[in-house]
Amino acid sequence: MSDSQTTATPDLQQGGISLRGVINSAGIGLALLLLIVFFSFASEHFLAPNNITNILTQITINLILAVGMTFVILIGGIDLSVGSVMAFAAVVAGKAITLPGLGPVELILLATTAGLLAGLACGMLNGFLSAYWSLPSFIITLGMLNIARGAALQVSDAQTIYSFPRAFENFGSLLIYGVPVVFLVALALVVIAWFVLNRTVFGRIVYGIGSNEEAVRLAGHDVFVYKVAAFSICGLTAGIAAIIYMARLNISSPIAGIGFELNAIAAVIIGGTSLSGGRGSVIGTLLGAFIIGVLANGLILIGLSDFMRQMITGVVIVVAVVLDYYRARLAGNGR
Amino acid sequence: MTVDVSSPVQTAIGGSPNVIDALDLILTVDQVRRYFGGVKALDSVNFSLARGEVHALVGENGAGKSTLIKILSGAIRRDAGDIVLEGQAFDPTTPHDAKLLGVQVVHQEFNLLNDLSVAENISIEALPRRFGLLDKAELNRRARLALDAIGLGELDVATPVSKLGIAHKQLIEIARALQSESRILILDEPTATLTERETRRLFDIIDDIKKKGVTIVFVSHHLEEVFAICDRVTVFRNGQTVTTQTIKDSTPKNIVQHMVGRTFETRTRNRQAVDSDDEVVLRVDQLRTSVCPHPDGVSFQVRRGEIVGIAGLVGAGRTEVLRALFGADRPQSGTINLHGKLLTLKGPGDAITAGIGFVTEDRKEEGLILAMDLTANTSLANLGSVSSAGLLDFGAERRMAKSGGERLNLKYGQLSNPATSLSGGNQQKIVLAKWLARNPQLLLLDEPTRGVDVGAKAEIYTILEGLANQGVAMLVVSSELPELMTLADRILVMADHVFQGELARSEFSQASILALAYGQTPEHLPDREGPQQ
Repeated sequence: MSDSQTTATPDLQQGGISLRGVINSAGIGLALLLLIVFFSFASEHFLAPNNITNILTQITINLILAVGMTFVILIGGIDLSVGSVMAFAAVVAGKAITLPGLGPVELILLATTAGLLAGLACGMLNGFLSAYWSLPSFIITLGMLNIARGAALQVSDAQTIYSFPRAFENFGSLLIYGVPVVFLVALALVVIAWFVLNRTVFGRIVYGIGSNEEAVRLAGHDVFVYKVAAFSICGLTAGIAAIIYMARLNISSPIAGIGFELNAIAAVIIGGTSLSGGRGSVIGTLLGAFIIGVLANGLILIGLSDFMRQMITGVVIVVAVVLDYYRARLAGNGR
Repeated sequence: MTVDVSSPVQTAIGGSPNVIDALDLILTVDQVRRYFGGVKALDSVNFSLARGEVHALVGENGAGKSTLIKILSGAIRRDAGDIVLEGQAFDPTTPHDAKLLGVQVVHQEFNLLNDLSVAENISIEALPRRFGLLDKAELNRRARLALDAIGLGELDVATPVSKLGIAHKQLIEIARALQSESRILILDEPTATLTERETRRLFDIIDDIKKKGVTIVFVSHHLEEVFAICDRVTVFRNGQTVTTQTIKDSTPKNIVQHMVGRTFETRTRNRQAVDSDDEVVLRVDQLRTSVCPHPDGVSFQVRRGEIVGIAGLVGAGRTEVLRALFGADRPQSGTINLHGKLLTLKGPGDAITAGIGFVTEDRKEEGLILAMDLTANTSLANLGSVSSAGLLDFGAERRMAKSGGERLNLKYGQLSNPATSLSGGNQQKIVLAKWLARNPQLLLLDEPTRGVDVGAKAEIYTILEGLANQGVAMLVVSSELPELMTLADRILVMADHVFQGELARSEFSQASILALAYGQTPEHLPDREGPQQ
């Protein structure tokens, strides 16, 4: 009876919203807090400065990929190719950074630019192919997953590239008060993404497309452009992740990043972003990446096997999706 | 002029024992209530079904018919009241429960499995098995019987449902419902998609089923049909049953009065007349929409401050014309001139920039982002004016939403509430506010008051008349003839993607519009005022 003429009572609505809000953001934050409290009691090493540095380093790559993934999932898409695209970008950047006859600054600038462009190009292609023909991004990016991996192997001749400029390698392990600089880069990306999603016209349209694409189109917005942009952002973050990866490990491998797309998707979903788009936030993604990272780290510390770790991470993902179901029901309350 | 119906002449429900006692009651519904959140969907519903009768439920959108059907079919539960089926309390918790007790619903939307055969669809709820395997022979035999029973002897049971037309799908649904022992069969707008011939056939089938002692509840928006096949009719209004009448003692006019609560007021038009020398805002020449089969397409013009109505049956091509004018679909050919300048539309964005607004037919699918708040929905088509360099100015955005709300007398809790928090009428006002924020010179409206209650309807009419007085040109598509006759200065009647005729205000009548819509010239049409039969 949605067409009944009574206006909904405001207090009822606010009740719905606050409850939803609790589950949405506070719920994830609370879960993370509980995890941290649990592990700090379960293991004396958990809160050691060294271990915190470790956790931050470990979640950096996943967080960067997940930030881009948030844009794609918010418009109702998915990008399965980010792991491969990261490897491709890393190989391209690796080729650039080992060119003979250039100084370290030139090499680093050239390699970074090349890596970011490689990622951006793959993302743009993903977006163009899926938006232009309205094809499911699942299939298109599944194709790209293979294309980019193959390209990475081809370009690198299946060889690992190494011996980078010293300055570049130092950057990867630089700490400021125990906080890895590479993590600060990821955090900066979260802040930028939050700003774009919440304060700009672009962000508004991204959310709108995920909720009701046709309404957005009929309000005069070129949906195609926004979709390509969302995938391009995702590709770009895969490029950034590639550079960070190289700086941290001092190598660039064509088989890097296998399965990374699944962790990135998991962070976004655990963070409360709806797989069908339109609902969610990049702050949630930040918390989701932390939950995955803290779980992985803490479970090792308390002596669980790798296999148990994997199972528990899986359970967390399933719980997050079930929660999402109830969230969706609350969002559409009374309907 | 208003006719008072507060003192019903007809038998009130449950009253006048001599009428009801004479009937062999199979189901009684007593004081049933149902709330959705704080919203009353059903507020005291009383009615009864006699064995073997065809009982019509009528009422405006949102009057409560579908909620009652959902309760009877076990899809939702009531909050209060009693339902008694053949002396036993009837309280199904799932549709399956209701089916076991013999209450079946044939929904408007089909629940058929398109890629399966007719036979499989008919028996899907209880597929015959032999040694654990599907018994094809039995399956086909049952389907044959079921189809023969409803006069579909010529239809092959192996045909995939996807190959069938809409009318046949409807009949397959009925055949399926009749598979299990049905005591009560509820048909929810079964004729909405049927042609006249198919409707007659359905009526024959209903007659047959009725003779077998099955009670039929018939929901329809067509009173002629109600008067053609029903024995009794119950009228819903605002979640209540207002009267139950025996068909042969009633008239369509009387029923309509009960539905509306008063007779249709002839609204005084608050409009300035449109002069023939007023500027032509929109000129359309030989526009062929993507589905128009005629080489010449449609040509027409709309002047400044003029409201032009487009009437026609569903599928006549009315929405397609609006969508083409808005750049939502690309036409095959034709030209559109706005203020004398040729308009090239690559998409809705071009139309909006040119000063066109489009209030779409389906606000939930096309007009609103339901999960977003009122502010975001109002600014959606106008984000440029509440942002600079791509950055949103939330203060400006709220001011836009607030002034839009005030201008349209929007009733809402908070601007930060989602659009779902509003009633249909107020949702529609948000869609209007979205376009009015851009000060459009041409407003395209597709069924502007669909699913909107009577009060909000009148308000929307006043708003549109006010816009016309300010010089906004409007093109209104509506299936409600009184609406077009209230609003429009001229009505173009469409049939099969071309204009069948044009009526000036002095020529307006439901009969003349319908005649043109059915492809006839007005003189040939029977007077629809009296009861048909």
